[in-house]
Amino acid sequence: MTATIELIVNGVRHRVPVEDDDLLLDVLRGQAGVTSAREGCGVGACGACTVLADGRSVSSCLARAVRYDGAEITTADGLPDDDPVVDAFVARRAMQCGYCIPGFVLMGHELLAENPDPSDEEIAGHLEGNICRCGTYQEIVAAVRDASRKEHA
Amino acid sequence: MTVDSSGVAVGERWARADGRAKVRGELRYAADEPVRPCRAVAVHRSTRPHARIAAIEASRAAAMDGVLAVVTGADLYAELGDRIFTGPAFADQPCLAVDKVRYVGEPVAAVIAHTAEAARAAAEEIEVDYDDLPPVHDVDAAIAGGGGYVHDELRPSAVFGDLKHLRGIRDTNVNYAYVLRTGDPEAARGAGEGVRTGDAGGATAEAAHTVRGDFWCPPTHHVPIELPYTAAWPEGDRIEVLSTTQTPSYVRQSLADLLGLPLNRVRVRCAPLGGSFGAKMYDRLEPLAAALAWTRRMPVRIAATREEAFLLTTRHGAAVTGSMSADADGAIVAAEADVRYDTGAYADVGPRITAKSGMIANGPYKIANASVRSRCVYTNKPSAGPFRGFGVPQVTWAHESLVDELARERGEDPAAFRRRNLLREGDVAAMGTAMHSADFATCLDAVTEAIGWDAPLDPGDGRWRRGKGVAVGIKAVLTPTISNATLQLNQDGSATLLISTVDMGQGSDTTMAQIAAEVLCLGEGRVRVVTADTDVTPYDTITAGSRSTYHTGNAVRLAAERMRDKLTGLAAGHLGVPATDVKLTPDGLVSAQTQETVGIADLLHAHFGARGTTLTTEAEFSTSWAPYDKETGRSPQVTEHWFAGAAAVRLAVDTATGRVRVEHLAVAGDVGRAINPALVEQQLTGAAVMGLGHALFDQLVFDEGQIVNGTLLDYQLPSVKDMPDAITPIVVESPHRTGPFGAKGVGETAIIPLAPAVSNALRDALGIRFTRLPLTPERILTALQKGTA
Repeated sequence: MTATIELIVNGVRHRVPVEDDDLLLDVLRGQAGVTSAREGCGVGACGACTVLADGRSVSSCLARAVRYDGAEITTADGLPDDDPVVDAFVARRAMQCGYCIPGFVLMGHELLAENPDPSDEEIAGHLEGNICRCGTYQEIVAAVRDASRKEHA
Repeated sequence: MTVDSSGVAVGERWARADGRAKVRGELRYAADEPVRPCRAVAVHRSTRPHARIAAIEASRAAAMDGVLAVVTGADLYAELGDRIFTGPAFADQPCLAVDKVRYVGEPVAAVIAHTAEAARAAAEEIEVDYDDLPPVHDVDAAIAGGGGYVHDELRPSAVFGDLKHLRGIRDTNVNYAYVLRTGDPEAARGAGEGVRTGDAGGATAEAAHTVRGDFWCPPTHHVPIELPYTAAWPEGDRIEVLSTTQTPSYVRQSLADLLGLPLNRVRVRCAPLGGSFGAKMYDRLEPLAAALAWTRRMPVRIAATREEAFLLTTRHGAAVTGSMSADADGAIVAAEADVRYDTGAYADVGPRITAKSGMIANGPYKIANASVRSRCVYTNKPSAGPFRGFGVPQVTWAHESLVDELARERGEDPAAFRRRNLLREGDVAAMGTAMHSADFATCLDAVTEAIGWDAPLDPGDGRWRRGKGVAVGIKAVLTPTISNATLQLNQDGSATLLISTVDMGQGSDTTMAQIAAEVLCLGEGRVRVVTADTDVTPYDTITAGSRSTYHTGNAVRLAAERMRDKLTGLAAGHLGVPATDVKLTPDGLVSAQTQETVGIADLLHAHFGARGTTLTTEAEFSTSWAPYDKETGRSPQVTEHWFAGAAAVRLAVDTATGRVRVEHLAVAGDVGRAINPALVEQQLTGAAVMGLGHALFDQLVFDEGQIVNGTLLDYQLPSVKDMPDAITPIVVESPHRTGPFGAKGVGETAIIPLAPAVSNALRDALGIRFTRLPLTPERILTALQKGTA
């Protein structure tokens, strides 16, 4: 059946019609103009589709949109211009092809919200479900570490 | 060659032009680009590895809601004829199966519908009657023949002219063979237990030490995280295509041939690629998308799922039977390799891989008697094509295992043994071409020093055992190839560079900008690179094989030098001094005589009498080769240049679980000159991480020709948890005499020696020589129980 749900995407309210089976990723890309969340595997195994829903990371390629009625969705392109995690990724050159990086940025945000001073092992543990095929992991871990220190300073 | 260098850009760690956009997710990849509303395409795929198509029942699918058309290979063949068969080496692959299917998952029919859901639902309703044929799954069984042939006859394509002589050959699954024979023919008479592929057998029989082995590298998949995507639409009498491809110029020619159109009626646009590693090149989704759009006169888009991406191309599985021999003084005197590449149902670029890696299958060593036979073999599997390293990691797995074992057989340190036998500057390798700008010894020394090769290993507690290993690698750059560059210097002193190199994460847009900026003394951010679009950017053979820094880089350098010469000419007129007196500097054009200076903006404003104008130059750069002799495999100029690299590993292995923990991984590559050291280090590290996956767990598993782990739930890729405790990328620079500022590429260098370096460390830790990849905990435990691999 078709339901109308409300998604607050990066602070902007969207009222969108969705079918029960519609995936959050498709609704965000198709009806809210989001392109920073992307399909990589369709089975929640790579993290390229990661978004934050009320601050929690979600694999939007698996999530049914209808369950997120009223949720505040954050995508990487909706982060503020001076976002410390984004700045740390840029400074650390934590990107090659860049396709997976927004997912890592959001995972970093989620971690630092829960644990403002994570160890490298805790950072790796939190990012484990995201795949960077270019192999930029050292830079990514360093960027999250830098962002945590910056947030403390 | 003398190259004027301003020192403003080359060697600097400029940030990627698109770095922040990538981090924020604002960079648009192909599927993010708004194009006209396209119809969705879904593909019905073969369930059989090898069968004749008896009948296709599509009427139910065609009648479903939202379905616009169901198209079969027979339908397209009726309109396009033999042009439906495409491919770089052999015109053997139809975009929809015609008459016969050759692998499980081959496209049989396409549904065009208003929505992707409708297209998928209809594709599932198509029914196909097959008459099964005997499938060929194994590469050695395929060579033996008798079980059936994947293709009735060989059909060389128009792309690679040197394969013409193979036309019409029947009753074989071997579509190409490369043979290398060097050394004393007399030596062959004494051939003993060697693999008997050439003259090296006699030398083997007389050597003091000989080691032999049968090696296997499984097929793997590239898995760039961006999925393949192609949109195609007719635009009046033209076809326009937006596609995930590393090879826009190739695709334009391929689609022009397919549709019978002149090149100026085919437009292929790219976007930055979300990784590729060889997956998105030559003919992938583009022929089907273009054929449907053109013949059905409607805009279509094909967005591959991850499961479909696994079927589009793979890395060749390869078997190598090899031997290597040393004399009493510890000189390698003979080496043999019999290499069999499993290229699957369609040859793609397999024949090129077969020759390019065959010629260096004995490694970067001085070997008097070398013998190689390298064959490209059809089987009933998804097609195998180019993958970072172009077949070379598979032969390196064999020669770097053999050379390590040979050193141990002699009781010599494996690094020292290699160092003594490595090819040096000016040495002519077995295939006949001399070494230049390929400093294997420095790479070897750098990686062994980085991991503390000579420091004693902590022996561990009995359960964990430690070991160290090293390997080197050699690869030829793709030759001959062509690059072009068009440079527009804008009146305000900014520049716009038009090239068809595709940035897929290697950072070519930044590297090429730095080369132009170096010549023109422009600062960071002043040169913008235009994304490849065949209507706009000039011909470039391909973005692959680590060729772009050298080839396109040289075209960019030449275009920039022509621009500099134009500017000095204009400035000479402006300042009233001879052109020889004018020098381009970061401050503008300066007269040495008068010290008078004019900036680029003022000079061009004065010259054109207008703002916003552009000054244009262009350049072409191509390389040539001497084709190798068909009998000996030798050529004095088989390649324009060489890649040289090394990897060293210290690891601990848990004898209770078989788990490997890499404590330190060092990789080095001779890049000639690092245009941007930060980008070079990322390429070295990234290739090492990918190679670590190939060493430890990464593989495609087949059962009766069907991929059984073709999803990312089942296919293991390196995650952040698989990282070594430390990775050290090392940039070695022995400038190439004709490289732009001495530079060469680096994208593949570190992946080549990676797996054998890990295996050699396991040999050191456990005393067991592994010959089959990957080195999974299960394989290690089994070997520990048996005491041998």
